[in-house]
Amino acid sequence: MRWHEGQANRAGKPLAEPVREVVIALVGQPNCGKSTLFNALAGFKANTGNFPGTSVTFTTSRVTVAGMHARIVDLPGTYSLTPRDGAEEVTRRYLTEGHADAIIAVVDASVLSRSIELTLELLETGLPIVVALNMMDEAGRKGIEVDIPALEARLGVPVVPTVATRGEGVVSVTLKGMAAARTRRSGISPVYDRDIEQALTDLSQIIPLSLAAELGVPPRFLSVRLLEADPFMLRHLEGRMPPAILERATALRQHLAKLHDWPEESVFGSHRHAAAVDLFESVATVRSRRRLSRRERLDDVLMHPFWGLIFAGLALAALFMVSFVVGSLVAGVVQKPFDALANWLLPAATSGIWADIGRGLLDGVAGGAGIVLPYLLPLLLMMSVMEDVGYLPRAAFLIDGLLHRVGLHGKSVIPLILGYGCNVPGILGTRILESPRDRIITALLVPLTACSARTVLILALVGATMGPLAALGVYGLNILVTAIAARLLSAIVPGNAPGLLMDIPPYRIPPAMAVLRKVWFRVREFLVSAWPVLIVASVIMGVLENLGVNTWVNSALAPMTTGLLGLPQAVGVTLFFGILRKELSLVMLFQALGTSDVTSVLTAAQLLTFTLFVTFYVPCISTLAAQVREIGWRWTIVGALLNTGIALIVAVAARFAMGG
Amino acid sequence: MTLADATIGSRLKVVSRKRMTSVDGESIAGLGIHIGEEVIVVRAAPFSGPVLVEVPSSGVRVAMGRGMAAEVVVEPANAVA
Repeated sequence: MRWHEGQANRAGKPLAEPVREVVIALVGQPNCGKSTLFNALAGFKANTGNFPGTSVTFTTSRVTVAGMHARIVDLPGTYSLTPRDGAEEVTRRYLTEGHADAIIAVVDASVLSRSIELTLELLETGLPIVVALNMMDEAGRKGIEVDIPALEARLGVPVVPTVATRGEGVVSVTLKGMAAARTRRSGISPVYDRDIEQALTDLSQIIPLSLAAELGVPPRFLSVRLLEADPFMLRHLEGRMPPAILERATALRQHLAKLHDWPEESVFGSHRHAAAVDLFESVATVRSRRRLSRRERLDDVLMHPFWGLIFAGLALAALFMVSFVVGSLVAGVVQKPFDALANWLLPAATSGIWADIGRGLLDGVAGGAGIVLPYLLPLLLMMSVMEDVGYLPRAAFLIDGLLHRVGLHGKSVIPLILGYGCNVPGILGTRILESPRDRIITALLVPLTACSARTVLILALVGATMGPLAALGVYGLNILVTAIAARLLSAIVPGNAPGLLMDIPPYRIPPAMAVLRKVWFRVREFLVSAWPVLIVASVIMGVLENLGVNTWVNSALAPMTTGLLGLPQAVGVTLFFGILRKELSLVMLFQALGTSDVTSVLTAAQLLTFTLFVTFYVPCISTLAAQVREIGWRWTIVGALLNTGIALIVAVAARFAMGG
Repeated sequence: MTLADATIGSRLKVVSRKRMTSVDGESIAGLGIHIGEEVIVVRAAPFSGPVLVEVPSSGVRVAMGRGMAAEVVVEPANAVA
């Protein structure tokens, strides 16, 4: 295939080299199990979840199977090659810029007739393809049986049945993908009716071969795109495609639409759909569909207009309460030996720079193990289960109507819920939103959500001293403030929210190993990147204390900390460190106050004020960086000011409400 | 009749799409709701939220905002069958 080789050369990959590393792209519709398949191959590297749009960027990994090497790329899910949002466009661009040597088309066998439509489109790219017929277990439960050899014959490519959650068929499909990349044999492109084929031939003949080569796709693929009036492709081709060809394409498109009596944009879609249904009927048999009724009964409650909302509220409260109960129990057990060790190693009377450094070190280690981890673990575990079971899209369905009242739509709830785990994936998750307006508003709202680090802070400060209900109250207030901010932002940011359109996947019982691996993936992030920062910062704080720098920072911040918020001057430094990582504010607070028994130094009102301020003010550096990447500098600064403004208002209000 | 005001639970056939951008139209089709396809509105969300549309032929379920649902014209499925 000439176009393909041309592209490979342009990308600087020497073709002559016999054992060049092949690049295999995993492509499939959202929620078909691509990332699960990827993780089964590469170890846990990509995030997974039972909701559409878990992967918004692509993750790549080198894998070695049976002594052969390849680079596997996990691309965001897309329903078709006509992208609807930024995440889908990532996939389309990757495929049409000649990066991939072969495609593993991941197909959800349980919704085969729809899932295979994308494969039909992929066949038109001319790239070698292997089909991973995934979720065979679920298809089996739905009574769907697939005749694999018949499907292979129809598509002209290898088909491998897989159950990615259990790792079944994963190695086999990868080996076939590697082989396909080397043989460069493409499958059978779908054939349309006579009129369409005629139009495609007409157009393909006048498309310059050099342009097709430059884009790394066959001329026929370009013709299909042009006749489909794919807006992204048209923009991509602007100035490169001779206007005469574009005019010809428009004329042909109108002609075809009139012939078929369909809207212009759905001529190809409808044909592909018909082809997919025909394919499904000839290769698959459906025995029974008993399984569906069980899901229906569960949804009767969980998606019920009233009980569903009640359940959502209870689920959130349960998530919070269990984290608190387990967290405070474990924290109590873990903290004591650390305190004893600290007293034994460094009696209170010891002074000097080494004592300060030692104390910083101990505080940092103890803070991570004794305060952060006990609350973080149960929270992450429960959130992972909730994500994998498939509850999030249902929550989005229920809340969509309410979110419209504040100018957003239900899909925004997914980045916001992700934000409760960690703001960074929440902000990246805004890519699943179609309109730039929604992306900006949601990316500005995500930092207001109390991420797990701030939840730990709320639980450890307010929860442990004023009881779990008070902590739940702070959480509730957090949601209320986020809603008010949403209303304000949607009034300020121009444009309006488009409608929700989202797949509601069936419930899935995640394998325990998958959940544990995911929790470990996130805990490791804390252990590897957050905890060391915590320890180093804690030591730095010890040194600063010794040098007297912290008193300087504290007095500089005093007008705000003591004047406005009514807090002891010593907390100034902790706020400053909190910008690095929110957990730091907590650990630093103990260090700054010189005790882990904060109630002996701070009043309830002060604790609440401090917690609220830290919850809402400038997000951590990683979050700011993600914001800059997604929405740019200007909006990030607006967001930081907004956050600080809200933090001051809420904290001062709390101070006076509590009579501080 | 459109998907927004259809009776919950009844079998419908998609007739056409009203004022809808090509991208939206393609998106709906991409999710499995094609012109001519049989669908069922399974439930509606509170606060005039989205409707849940099932495509019985594939078992796919899609949440669709009220505004978008009002653009999808349907008729009772048995009228043609």
